Amino acid sequence: MKKKKQVKKRPFLPPMSFSYEGSQASKTGTWRYLTPAYLNKLAPCNESCPAGEDVEAAMVLAGQEDYLGAWEKITQENPLPRVCGRVCFHPCEAACNRKEFDEATSINALERFVGDQAFQSGKRPPPPQEKKREKVAIIGSGPAGLSCAYHLSSLGYGVTLFEAQPKLGGVLRYGIPSYRLPKDILDQEIDNILSLGVEAKTGVRVGKDVRWAELKNFDAVFVAAGAWKSLPLKVPGEDAKGVMSGLEFLQRVNSGQPVDPGQRVAIIGGGNTAMDAARSALRLGAKPLIIYRRTREEMPAWEEEVSETGEESIEFIFLSSPVKIVTENGKVKGVECIKNLLGPIGKDGRREPRPIEGSNFTLPVDAVISAIGETPDFSFLPEELRQYTGSLPVDETGATGVKGVFAGGDIIAQPRTVAYAIGSGKKAAMAVDATLRGKNAVEGLRSARWGEKGSLSMARYKKGGTDGIAPEVIPFSALNTAYFKRQVRKRKEKLPLSRRTSGFSEVNLGLSPDSALYEAKRCFNCGVCNLCHNCFIYCPDLAISARPDKQGYDINYDYCKGCCICVEECPRGAISVEVKK
Amino acid sequence: MNAKELLNEYLHSGHGCCPGCAMPIVMRTAFQALGERTIAVITAGCFGTISGTFPTSPIKLAAYNTPFASAGAAASGVRAALDVLGDTTTTVLAVAGDGGTFDIGIQAVSAAAERNDDYIYICYDNEAYMNTGIQRSSATPWGAWTTTTPPANLKSQPKKDIVRIMAAHRVPYAATASIAYPDDFIRKIRKAKETRGFKFIYAFSPCPVGWRFSSELTIRLARLAVQTKVFPLYEVEDGERYILNEEPEGTPVSDYLKPQGRFGFLREGDLERIQENVDREWQRLMHRMESRPT
Amino acid sequence: MRKLMTGNSAVSHGVVLSRAQVISAYPITPQTTIVEELSEMCADGRLPAKFIRVESEHSAMACVAAAAATGARVFTATSSHGLAYMHEMLHWVSGTRLPVVMVNANRAIGAPWSIWCDQGDSLSQRDTGWLQLYCQSAQEALDTVIQAYRIAEEILLPVMVLVDGFFLSHTSEPVDIPDQEAVDRFLPPFHPRYKLTPDDPHTFNIMADTSLFISFRHEAQIAMETAKKLAARVDREFKSQFGRGYGLMEKFRCTDAEVVLLTMGTAAGTAREVIDQYRRQGKKVGLCRLRLFRPFPAEALIKTLSGMKKVAVLDRDNSLGAGGIVGQELKAALFRAPRKPKVFEFIAGLGGKDITPETIQKIMETTLHNANPNGAPIWLGVEA
Repeated sequence: MKKKKQVKKRPFLPPMSFSYEGSQASKTGTWRYLTPAYLNKLAPCNESCPAGEDVEAAMVLAGQEDYLGAWEKITQENPLPRVCGRVCFHPCEAACNRKEFDEATSINALERFVGDQAFQSGKRPPPPQEKKREKVAIIGSGPAGLSCAYHLSSLGYGVTLFEAQPKLGGVLRYGIPSYRLPKDILDQEIDNILSLGVEAKTGVRVGKDVRWAELKNFDAVFVAAGAWKSLPLKVPGEDAKGVMSGLEFLQRVNSGQPVDPGQRVAIIGGGNTAMDAARSALRLGAKPLIIYRRTREEMPAWEEEVSETGEESIEFIFLSSPVKIVTENGKVKGVECIKNLLGPIGKDGRREPRPIEGSNFTLPVDAVISAIGETPDFSFLPEELRQYTGSLPVDETGATGVKGVFAGGDIIAQPRTVAYAIGSGKKAAMAVDATLRGKNAVEGLRSARWGEKGSLSMARYKKGGTDGIAPEVIPFSALNTAYFKRQVRKRKEKLPLSRRTSGFSEVNLGLSPDSALYEAKRCFNCGVCNLCHNCFIYCPDLAISARPDKQGYDINYDYCKGCCICVEECPRGAISVEVKK
Repeated sequence: MNAKELLNEYLHSGHGCCPGCAMPIVMRTAFQALGERTIAVITAGCFGTISGTFPTSPIKLAAYNTPFASAGAAASGVRAALDVLGDTTTTVLAVAGDGGTFDIGIQAVSAAAERNDDYIYICYDNEAYMNTGIQRSSATPWGAWTTTTPPANLKSQPKKDIVRIMAAHRVPYAATASIAYPDDFIRKIRKAKETRGFKFIYAFSPCPVGWRFSSELTIRLARLAVQTKVFPLYEVEDGERYILNEEPEGTPVSDYLKPQGRFGFLREGDLERIQENVDREWQRLMHRMESRPT
Repeated sequence: MRKLMTGNSAVSHGVVLSRAQVISAYPITPQTTIVEELSEMCADGRLPAKFIRVESEHSAMACVAAAAATGARVFTATSSHGLAYMHEMLHWVSGTRLPVVMVNANRAIGAPWSIWCDQGDSLSQRDTGWLQLYCQSAQEALDTVIQAYRIAEEILLPVMVLVDGFFLSHTSEPVDIPDQEAVDRFLPPFHPRYKLTPDDPHTFNIMADTSLFISFRHEAQIAMETAKKLAARVDREFKSQFGRGYGLMEKFRCTDAEVVLLTMGTAAGTAREVIDQYRRQGKKVGLCRLRLFRPFPAEALIKTLSGMKKVAVLDRDNSLGAGGIVGQELKAALFRAPRKPKVFEFIAGLGGKDITPETIQKIMETTLHNANPNGAPIWLGVEA
C-alpha cells in the first residue's frame, strides 16, 4: 500500500508582512515566578471589635449610602448598634489603619448613625428561619444577656430572660444615664430583640423568686447577672447617711426614683461609673468633686467621658485618696484625704499610689458617692459555683464547671465593657448551639474567630469558618495610601454646653447625614476588595478581568507575568503574592 | 471620562513586554480613549518590537510599522491618504519612544509639528534606548546609569525639554501625561482627539529593566515622578498657554530616585544637585503657567 | 495636445494624468522643477492631491509609503543624495510591497560635490527591490510614469523612473500629452487588496522571524521575475492604445549587427548618430538602449546579443572596485548564454561630463579594432 505523501500545509503568506491573528497563543503566564492572587484579609477594626462585628463590610455599605445594608451587617453580630454607637469605647477606632494616615474613621458615630437610620426606616431584624425544640434560660438582661437572647432566638431556640429589675437592660438602663443613652432608644433596640420571640420575666430574681433547681427544665443556662456589688471604701465613716455607692446612686437616678445628691458631693473613683455619677449629680443640682488616687492619665474612664465631664466644669482632684469621712450628728460634713505620689508599676500594670505622710487635707462635702469598683454576687448560683470570688471561671467556650451552664458579661473575668459583654453573649449562644446540636463547641468557636483578639463572628460560625477571608490582619504598611487624600475627621454634633447640664437630654447628637457619608467614605476598606478597579486599569498584560456578577476580579494566569503591579496598587492590600506558579 | 468606564480593549494579552512595563499600560489607556477608528503608526522601539511577529499581533487596531526616524512623516502620509480618500473620522496616532522622538526621529517630528499635520503623536518616554539594551538617549536624566553611560561616566547632560521644543512649534496642543493619573491621561487623549492640527502627548513610561527597579513599582514611580516635580503634569495650548494640572505638595526627589538602581552610582553632592535642578526647572515652568489647579 | 516642455515637466504631466493622490517630496537639483510644478498643479486644482512638504527625502519616502499603505496612489521624486538619504526606506517600501512610483533625476553622488548627470545614484540602489526604467526622452518619461503605475499596482513592487539629470530633466522637446480619459482607460483607480483601515485592522510590517523572512523575500523575487513579462506587456498595451511603445530595450539597427553598443539614458541619443555614421561606412554595428534595468532582462538580452560578436557597454556610472554596473550585470547575464559575445566595457560621462559623438567614436573604434577586451573597463574623459 502506497504511503500517502505528507504535504506540509504552508501558513497563509500575504505579499507583505501583516498580522491576521492576535497574540493570545503566546501564554506569557509561563514567565511567572511570583503569582498574585486575590485574598481578602481581616481588617484590624473587625479583629478589635469585642462584639465581633464585620465593621469593614458595614463601612463599605455605609460608604455606598446603603445604611440599611450596613445595619444588616452589624446586626448579624450585634443587636444593639444604637446603644453601642453611643456608649462603646470603640477599640475599632484605636486599631483603625486610617489613624496612621490622618485620623481614624468615625466608626462609632457611624454605628449610631446607621442604627438611627434603620430605626427611622422601620427596619427590624428578620424573624428566625426555623424553630428548634430546645429552650435556654438567660439570667440577666444586660448587654450580655440581651445579646445571647438575640442570637439564640435567631438560631431558632426558645429563650426565657430572667431579669431581677422591673425593666430589661441591666447596666444599659440602670448604670448609664440618659444623657449618654436615652431610655427610649434602649427600649427600641430591646424591643427588636423581643420581637424574635424572647420571653422576658422582669422583676424575677433567680435564687429568690425562682429557684435554681427550676432551671433544670431548660436545656441550657446562660448566667449574665453582671457585677452589681460595689467595693467598699474601707474608711471610717463609710456607713454614715449621705454616703452611697455609685451603682446605687445611678440605679435610683436611672429608675426615676428620688435621690438627694447633696449640695457638694465627693465622688471617689476614676472610672466611667464615677463620671456618670458626677455628671448625674450635677444635673440634679449638686456640685460634684471627683477625687481620684492617681492622675488623669491613669483614669480608667473613657477619654471622651473625662473630657465631657471637664467641659461641664466638674472639678477633679488628682493624686488623692480618702482616709476618713468626717461626720457631724450622723451627717456627712467632709472627707479627709491624703495626697499620693505615684510609685513603681504594680501588679495591674499601673503605677502604685503611695500616700505622702502628713499631707492630709479635708474637703467640705455633704455627700459622698463611692465608685471605686464593682464585684459580682454569686449567692444565687448553684453550690458548685458559689465558692468563687471576683469572677466566675469559665473555659474557652464560656462553659462553667456545671454542665449546661455558661456564663458571660461582667460576671466573668473579661474587660467590663458593653462590647465585651455583647461578645460573650454571642459566644455563649454559639457554644450552646454547638453543644445542643452535638458538635464540638471548641471547633465551632475556633471557626468563628475574627483574628487573634478573641472576637467571634456569628456569620462565620454559621458558615463553619468558610467566608474567604484569610486570618491575617492587614496592617497599615500593607496599604497603598496614594489613593487617599488627607481628610479631616468630621466631629459629632453636641448639645451646646449651656443646655447640657440643665437636664438629662442626650449630649451627643451624632453625625449629620453629610458628615456620616463623608466619614463612611473615609474608611479604607482594609483587606477586602471593594471593586475600585485599580488592578484592572493597571495590568500591563490585560490579564485581569472584572467578573460580570460584580463580585470581584479574576486573574488570567495564562498571561499573568507576575509583575505584581496589582499587588502594589491595591489600596487595601486585598491581593497577595505566592512564590510559586 | 473615567478610567473605570472604558471597557473596550484594543490590545491582546500575550504580548512580549517585560513584566511591569509601563508602555503597554500607556498604549492600552490611549487606545481605550481613542476607540476603534484609529490607525496607529509605530516606529522602532519597544512598542514596535512587541507589535507582533508574523502572523500575530497584540494590537487590535489597524497599525503600521515604519523605520525608526520616520514616525512623524509616516503619520502625515497616513493622514493625507485618509483625507484624500474621504475619511475624515479616523484618528491617526503616531507612537514612538524617546529615541524615535528626541533623537533619531526629532527631525521628522519637528517637520510634522511645523506643518501642523492633523494627528496625535504620543511619545512614551522610558528615558533610554531600551529596546536595543538600555543605551543612553537625550531623554536620559542627569546622573543616570545606562549601558553607554557607565558608572565612571554617568549621563552628564540634563534631559531634553521636549515639550518646550514642541510648544515652540506653536502646535495647538501639547501635554505631559502619567499613567498614575489615568483620568487626567484619558482626558488629555480625548482633548487631543477633539483638537485639529498636530497634538503632542508626552507620556512617562517607567522601565523596570532599564531603570533597575522591582517590577511592581511601575505605577508608584510614575506617581512619585509627578509628586517630586521631576515629571510635572501640564498642558500647553497653541504653544503659549501653559496650564498646570497637578500641584504636588513637595516630596523630596530622593524618594523617587531611591528605588531605582540606575541612580545608584550618584556621587557625593549629586543628590542635592538633582534636587536643585528639579526645583529650578519647576520654578521656570511655573513662570510660564497661566493657570493652576483650583 | 502637443506642447514643448522639459523632461521634468513631462514627468509632472504624467503624474497629473495618473491621478496621483498623495505627493511628498523634498527639492534637490535637478529634480526641483518637478516638485515646484506639482505644487502649483495641486494649488490650482489641476491635481487634486495632498502635497506634503516634508523636511527630508527619508521622510518623503516614509510619508508616501505610509500613504500608499493606506490605499492612496502616491508619487515622489528625488535625485542622488536624496535617493541615498532614503535608502533605508527604499528597502522598506519594496518589502512592504507598496506600488510607489518615483522619478529619480540621475545625478552624481559626492564627494566631491556634483550636481550633474551620473547614473551611479540609481544603479547603486539596484538591490533595494525597485523596478528601474531608464528614459531617453521627455515623451518617454511622461509615458513611462503612467506605465509605472500600471506595473507597480499589479505586481505590488515600487517602480523608479529615471531621467538623466539636466540632459533630460532640463532640456525641452515637443511632447504629446495624452487625454485624461484615455489614460483613465489605461490606468484604473488604485484599489489595493490589503490596506490600512479600521474596517479591516491588521498590523503591517510586523517582524518575520528566521523561518519566514526568506519566504517573504522569495515571494518578492517571484514578483520581480514576473515583472519582466509584465513590463513588456504593459508597454505593448500602451503602444496599442497610444501609438507609442518602448519595450524592455530599444534596438536600433541590431538585426544584422555584429557589434552592438549597449547603454542607458540620453547617451543613446548621441550614440544613434554615431551608429548611423558607422553604418554609412559599412560597419555592421547597432545600438541597444537598455530601458528596463531592474529586473535585469537577462533572457531578452541573451536573445538579442547572443549572435553578436562584440558588445560595447557604456556605463555612465562606476562601482568602485568592481567596474561599470551595467557591464557587470550584462556579463553575469551572458554567462548563461550559449554564444557569448565579447564584452568591451567603457566608463564615461561621470559627474555630467558630456558624452559626445567623439566619445562614442572612441568606444566604437576601440571595440571594432580590438579582438578582445582589455580586462578592466576603459575610462574615457579622464584628464591628468
